[in-house]
Amino acid sequence: MLQEAQNVVSGISGADIATAAKYIAAGLCMGIGAIGPAIGEGMAAAHALDGMARQPEMQGALLRTMVLGQAITETTGIYSLLIAIVLLFVI
Amino acid sequence: MFEQLAGLLTHLGEKRIAVLRLFGAEVRFDTTALVMSWVVIVLLILLALWLRRGLRQPVEEKPNRTQAALDGLIDILKSQLSGNFASERLAIMMFPFISTLFLYVLLSNWLGVVPYLSSPTQNINITMGLALLVFFMSHVLAVKLKGTRRYLKGFLEPYAFMLPINLVGEVAKPLSHAFRLFGNILAGTILITVVMVKFAPIIVPPVLSIFFGLFFGGIQAFVFAILAVAYINVAVED
Repeated sequence: MLQEAQNVVSGISGADIATAAKYIAAGLCMGIGAIGPAIGEGMAAAHALDGMARQPEMQGALLRTMVLGQAITETTGIYSLLIAIVLLFVI
Repeated sequence: MFEQLAGLLTHLGEKRIAVLRLFGAEVRFDTTALVMSWVVIVLLILLALWLRRGLRQPVEEKPNRTQAALDGLIDILKSQLSGNFASERLAIMMFPFISTLFLYVLLSNWLGVVPYLSSPTQNINITMGLALLVFFMSHVLAVKLKGTRRYLKGFLEPYAFMLPINLVGEVAKPLSHAFRLFGNILAGTILITVVMVKFAPIIVPPVLSIFFGLFFGGIQAFVFAILAVAYINVAVED
């Protein structure tokens, strides 16, 4: 059994490690990169809801500004997505 | 399995490249995106021609249903714009540009829902082109409305040593504008393709398609247009 394990380990080449690192990096990139936008968009929605509850007549303007702000917040998430895509398919 | 998935997804990004030799330089075109872009343009023109039938000046007769619906739509778009622009004059001036941009991006995003067609906006070159259009539009308008002196002085605000940061900020605007649209549409396409080929070939993909293609496509088109408005507004205002 030990012999088998040693055979497996010696069969791993540098390219295999690079491929594994690529997938792990893409997963980490997306997972960690999605935390910030999620919190940010949630905060935007929460405060917009606060505003709407206080002033229902402002709903249209608040909704528009909220969507715009969320789209801008999302940019960092999109950047990490692009990096993950580059890691997976380009490098 | 990962090998297959990677192969599948590289196939997604496969492009039919046409190379044009122009004065010794190679010009490369992604023909898929080019053809899809033309499909969108032709669809928009046909739609406009079709909706134009039966329009009449609302002087003596009451408008038919198409005209009433279109009037309502234009009113909504106009009110959205005049709420966001600094002045009413600017809103009227920019209305054709912004609404054309919106309709083009909207139809481009929705084109990905149709089988055998792909969204032109999942190509970075197309979104970058649109973003650069907005970029040049905002700066030319700023020079025109504010004058060259005040335009250049705007880069020294609030302090002169902020110039590099202001310049980086200006360059980052079209980049993030383009990457946002591109990333959103590409992510939707990749997700739908992976689910369709690997996990659930029936029932689930149409639902995902409606969610990512129609819902997110609509929101992203709206966001693209509103951000164009915001960038132009920021560049033009004092």
